[in-house]
Amino acid sequence: MASSSSSGLTFKVHPLVIVNISDHYTRVKSQLNPPNSNASSNSPPPRVYGGVIGVQKGRTVEIFNSFELLYDPSTHSLDRAFLDKKQDLYKKVFPHFYILGWYSTGTDALESDMHIHKALMDINESPVYVLLNPSINHSQRDLPVTIFESELHVIDGIPQLIFVRSTYTIETVEAERISVDHVAHLKPSDGGSAATQLAAHLTGIHSAIKMLHSRIKVLHHYLLAMQKGDVPCENSLLRQVSSLLRRLPAIESGKFQDDFLMEYNDTLLISYLAMLTNCSSTMNELVDKFNTAYDRHSRRGGRTAFM
Amino acid sequence: MDPLEALVAQIQGLSSTPGDISRLHVILKQADDSLRSESTRLSPVLAQLAPSEHSLGFLYVLDAFTSGQISKQQAETTVPIITGFINACNAEQIRLAPEKFVLVCKRLKDQVMMLEAPIRGVGPLFNAARKLQLSTEHLTPLHSDFLLLCLLAKCYKTGLSILEDDIFEVDQPRDLFLYCYYGGMICIGLKRFQKALDLLHNVVTAPMSSLNAIAVEAYKKYILVSLIHHGQWQISTSLPKYASSVAQRSLKNFCQPYIELANIYGTEKIAELEAYVQTNTEKFENDNNLGLVKQVVLSMYKRNIQRLTQTYLTLSLQDIANTVQLNSPKEAEMHVLQMIQDGEIYATINQRDGMVRFLEDPEQYKTCEMIEHIDSSIQRIMALSRKLTAMDEQISCDQLYLSKVGRERQRYDFDDFDVPTKFNI
Repeated sequence: MASSSSSGLTFKVHPLVIVNISDHYTRVKSQLNPPNSNASSNSPPPRVYGGVIGVQKGRTVEIFNSFELLYDPSTHSLDRAFLDKKQDLYKKVFPHFYILGWYSTGTDALESDMHIHKALMDINESPVYVLLNPSINHSQRDLPVTIFESELHVIDGIPQLIFVRSTYTIETVEAERISVDHVAHLKPSDGGSAATQLAAHLTGIHSAIKMLHSRIKVLHHYLLAMQKGDVPCENSLLRQVSSLLRRLPAIESGKFQDDFLMEYNDTLLISYLAMLTNCSSTMNELVDKFNTAYDRHSRRGGRTAFM
Repeated sequence: MDPLEALVAQIQGLSSTPGDISRLHVILKQADDSLRSESTRLSPVLAQLAPSEHSLGFLYVLDAFTSGQISKQQAETTVPIITGFINACNAEQIRLAPEKFVLVCKRLKDQVMMLEAPIRGVGPLFNAARKLQLSTEHLTPLHSDFLLLCLLAKCYKTGLSILEDDIFEVDQPRDLFLYCYYGGMICIGLKRFQKALDLLHNVVTAPMSSLNAIAVEAYKKYILVSLIHHGQWQISTSLPKYASSVAQRSLKNFCQPYIELANIYGTEKIAELEAYVQTNTEKFENDNNLGLVKQVVLSMYKRNIQRLTQTYLTLSLQDIANTVQLNSPKEAEMHVLQMIQDGEIYATINQRDGMVRFLEDPEQYKTCEMIEHIDSSIQRIMALSRKLTAMDEQISCDQLYLSKVGRERQRYDFDDFDVPTKFNI
C-alpha cells in the first residue's frame, strides 16, 4: 500500500493541524476512558476523524487548519451534511481555503480508509490523508505524522487506487512558533515569571552541554583506544576530529580575551553573590528556629542546652 | 608480676580484630587500678608491646606509667617513649579511649615545657591531634595544647596549617576558647590580622554563662588588632547582639585602658596617642601586649597616609611628612615604600623630585587567577550552604523546637486537638 509518491506535489503542514489532531484524539480518549477506571489499558485506542483545509497553489499544497468530523460506522463514511456546513462557514472567514482532505489516527493506513477517501473525491479530485500515530515511542525522533495521497496503480491487471506516502515539511507562522514553544516548555500557569524562564533556559543549555560532553567523551575514549592500539587507526576519522577541534576557539585576539574574561568574572561574581544571599537566608531561618527552640528570654532556660 | 604478665599476654593476643579489641578494652578498664599501683615496674612492659599494633594496651600502660610525678631526668626518657607511641599508634584503637589519650598528651606537653624544649612536642602533638579527630572539622582538646606549644616554640607556620581547617564540631567549650585565643595569637605573629580578628571575635562572642579570663584577654587583643587592621573601634558598635549578655555587660570593665587607647586613636592625634602609651606602659606590659600597642601606634601613621590618598593625587614627601607628623621626608619615604610592598596602598615614588603619585587599584578582574579565586570561594560557600541546610533540617526535627512550636499553635487553634503540647517520644 505504501510506496513513495510520484505526483511531484510538495506538502506543507502547519503545526496547528498536528496540535488539533492530537488534541482531538486525547480528548476522545480521556472521555472514553475516565482516568480512574481499570479498563483504560484494555480497550483499543479510539480512532478520530476530521477534515483538513488549506490552500493549493500550483504544485504546493499547504495545510493550514483542521476540524473534527463524526464517523458513521454503519455507512463507513464521514458525516457529509456536517462537512458541507463546515465548509460554508470556513469559506466565509477564509475565502481562499479549500477542503484538501481528511485526517485520522492510527498506526498505518487501512483498506477501509479508501472508502472515506473516495467519498471525498467529489470535493477535491486528489484529497490528502493525514495520519497521526498516537502511540508514544520514545526512541522515535521524527514526528509520527504521515501524509498519504491516492494514486491509480495497475495491480494484477486491475486499476486500483492505493495510498502512497508523501514527504512533507512543517511550515510555521510566527504566532504558531510562539505557541508551540509555549506548549513544548510547559510553562506554569502564572504566565511564567522571569525566574522560571531563566530556569527553563538554563536547563536547556545544561542538557545541551551535557550531551556535548558525553559525545566528546566518546570521541576521547575512541582516540585513546586508537592510541593504545586496540582499534585500527583510521586517518579519515582523525582528520575529521582534528578539523572539529580547530573550530574552537573561534576568535583569538587579546581584546577578545580581555572582554571574555571580564564577562566571565562578572558572571562568577553574580553567582557568588547569589550563593551568599542563599546562605544568609538559610542562616536567618536557622537562627529563628534556634531562638524559638532555645528561648533566650527566659533566664532559666538560657544557655544550659548549649553548654 | 604474674597478673602483669598475664595482662601483657592478653594485650598481645587480643589486638587483631575489632571484636577482640573491644573485649580487650573491657579487660583493660578493669585492670586500670592495678596498673596504676604497679607504675614503677612498667617500663619493661612497655618494651614488650608494639605501639602500632597494641595501641590500646600500650596506651593504658603508658597512662599508668606516667601518672605519678616525673622529675626532669625521668622526663628525658619518657618524652621519646610518648613521642614514639604517638607517631606509631593506630588511630581507631586510640579513639576507643580518647580521655586517656588526651591525658597522656597533656603530660607530654608538661614534660616538654619542663625540659624547656617546646619544639620537641610540636610534631608529636600535631600527629596526635590529627589522629584523634574524627574529621578535619572536629575540635579536640589537643588542638589548644598544640597551638600553645607552637607559640612557645615560635613555629607559627605549623600552627597555621591546623588553623586553616574550619571547625564545625566542638566537644568542650573550653577547648574552643583556648583554641581560638591561641590561634588568634599565632595569626597576629604571622601578621594575618583578618584571620586573627575572626578567631578573637569567636572567643569574645562565644556563649558563656559567666565571664572567663580567656575572653577578657582575648577582648584586649581584639581591640588592638581591630585598631591595627581596620583603623577604627567604636565602643557603641563593639559587641554584636549575639554575644552573650555576660560579655556585653562585663568585658568593658576589665579592659578600661584599651578602650581609652581606642578613643584616643579615634581623635587621630599621634602625639596624644604616644603620650598615653608612655603613661600606661606598665599596664600594657603586664598583659604582654606592649608589642601590639607599639604596632597600633605605627598603624596610626599608615592610616593617615591612606587618608591622604583620598584627597591628593600627587604629593611631595615633605608634605606627607608634615601632614602625618613624621620627622623627615626620608621617614615618610620608608613608610610609603613599606606600605606599597605590603599592598596597602598603590603609589609610585618619583625619587628625583620627591613626589608620590597615588594610583588606583590596578586589579581589573580580567585574569584567570581571579577566576580561580572566585571559583574556589564559590565552592567553599556551596559547602557551607550544604552544611547550613543540614543543620536547619536537624533543628527542625529537634524535640525542643517542635514542642515550642506546638505550644504556640495551641493558643490559636482551639479546635485543633491534633497537636499535643508535650511530646512523649
